[in-house]
Amino acid sequence: MDTVVKPQYNDGVVKAFTLAAIVFLVLGTFFGTYAASELAWPFLNFDTAEITFGRLRVIHTNTVIYAFGGNVLMATAFYIVQRTNGRPLYSNKLAWVQFFAFQAGLLLAVITLALGMSQAKEYHELEWPLDIAVALVWVLFTFNFTMTIAERDKQKVPHIYVANWFFFGLLIMVTYLWVLNALSVPVSLFRSYSLFSGVQDAMIQWWWGHNAVGFFLTAGFLGIMYYFVPKQAQRPIYSYRLSVIHFWSLMFGYVWLGAHHLQYTALPDWVGSLGAVISLAMIIPSWGGALNGMLTLSGAWDRLRTDYILRFLIMSLAFYAMSTFEGPVMAAKSVNALSHYTDWTIGHVHSGALGWVAMVSIGAVYHMTMKLWKTEMYSMSLINFHFWLATIGTVFYIVAMWVSGIMQGLMWRAYDDYGTLAYTFAESVAAMHPYYVMRAIGGILFTAGAAVMLYNMIMTIRMANARQTQLAHA
Amino acid sequence: MSKIESYFHTDWAAMTAYDWGGMILTIVIFVALAVTFFNALRPKNAKELEEQRMTPLRDDE
Repeated sequence: MDTVVKPQYNDGVVKAFTLAAIVFLVLGTFFGTYAASELAWPFLNFDTAEITFGRLRVIHTNTVIYAFGGNVLMATAFYIVQRTNGRPLYSNKLAWVQFFAFQAGLLLAVITLALGMSQAKEYHELEWPLDIAVALVWVLFTFNFTMTIAERDKQKVPHIYVANWFFFGLLIMVTYLWVLNALSVPVSLFRSYSLFSGVQDAMIQWWWGHNAVGFFLTAGFLGIMYYFVPKQAQRPIYSYRLSVIHFWSLMFGYVWLGAHHLQYTALPDWVGSLGAVISLAMIIPSWGGALNGMLTLSGAWDRLRTDYILRFLIMSLAFYAMSTFEGPVMAAKSVNALSHYTDWTIGHVHSGALGWVAMVSIGAVYHMTMKLWKTEMYSMSLINFHFWLATIGTVFYIVAMWVSGIMQGLMWRAYDDYGTLAYTFAESVAAMHPYYVMRAIGGILFTAGAAVMLYNMIMTIRMANARQTQLAHA
Repeated sequence: MSKIESYFHTDWAAMTAYDWGGMILTIVIFVALAVTFFNALRPKNAKELEEQRMTPLRDDE
């Protein structure tokens, strides 16, 4: 009789990345909520340089994007690549080196940013020694992931599943975008100046900046979606052909968008227009992808009533569809004239970050926790509670920022009969106060949800460990 | 020159090497995407591609 030998996966390192991700989710959302509270109640900075808004905001963005998002991407990439290629990682040791080097880098990032050491480049603030360290960790990640696919049994697994394509796109694109934007002239150990200047520097920065969103915060998380939505729904993805079109459109479309961040600047007008046109065109593949995920549930929508993890995954796709519609609209010049430099942009970023990236990650992490520790969750009710805290928190946040952003834009452009500005900048700041309070409440709700998740995970792991100990003694 | 003609007018003599490189790359990517979309949507390839939908459901768990 033939026996099927199940591959022994390297799940220890995946568990470590998964736990680190949720610890950083709690920390990152706490930093963000505290920074948001400082805008509502400025005394909260206690005149301490290290926790002023300017530094805390950057610590928040780096913690949620790289520490939470990075750990989630590394955990899910290693989880998916092993299972879809039917083999363990190319090198488990290398994966552990990557884990410890990445966490050490993140710790140094928080310390240096709190001390005010920054390149002052959005989503790329780390000074050059840490910049190089991050690039090296990323290369390790890319090498291990690629080699795991390359060394698969091609007879058994002739086709590479599409989730791996998205991860591969993320790895390649982020490597070269990160390195090019990081090109600088170091003048001391913790001070450097960009190799580019003026409008070229701005263009390179936003070419990187929007692609950090497009590849780091979208492509990899779409890889997560294409694996975990079918897995959790126990149904195949709605259309594989649509996923192929989604992938290639995203890879070659996203790189054009950065210029829409620089409308009405010294950048040539046609570059901004091109960025806006391609942004609008990107609605098609983005919505195709969102629909592909949602329609996977065709005929089984009732499962959303009882499967709270699936709720996170499907809600994330609703936010993905919404923010990928909102973004292109904001890129159009006429809307951009109102929205740019206002809180509307912050609201847009968070509908993507909280609604899409965090929720798809949370769904995937809950799914993985049960599989990795081979147990049910400690409390399904707490997952439901977390879902509502996260959803209501996100809605509070983005509605507050829509209102304050549009109000800001209208106040800044209002003229009186004499052609002078109707409001001073300080008046527009004072008008924002109620919305900044509302945003802080949204942040508190979302952070509370993250803390509930961490508690639920710790209890689940303790429960699984206790059961294993019992079995060992039996 | 009509408004449309003037909108699409290009001073070819003023094109730099960077301009030519960018234009050629754009056209190559456009054609490659068109070929990819054609192949993905071609009914002949439907069965082979759609079979891959089952991959996540076939793994060990």
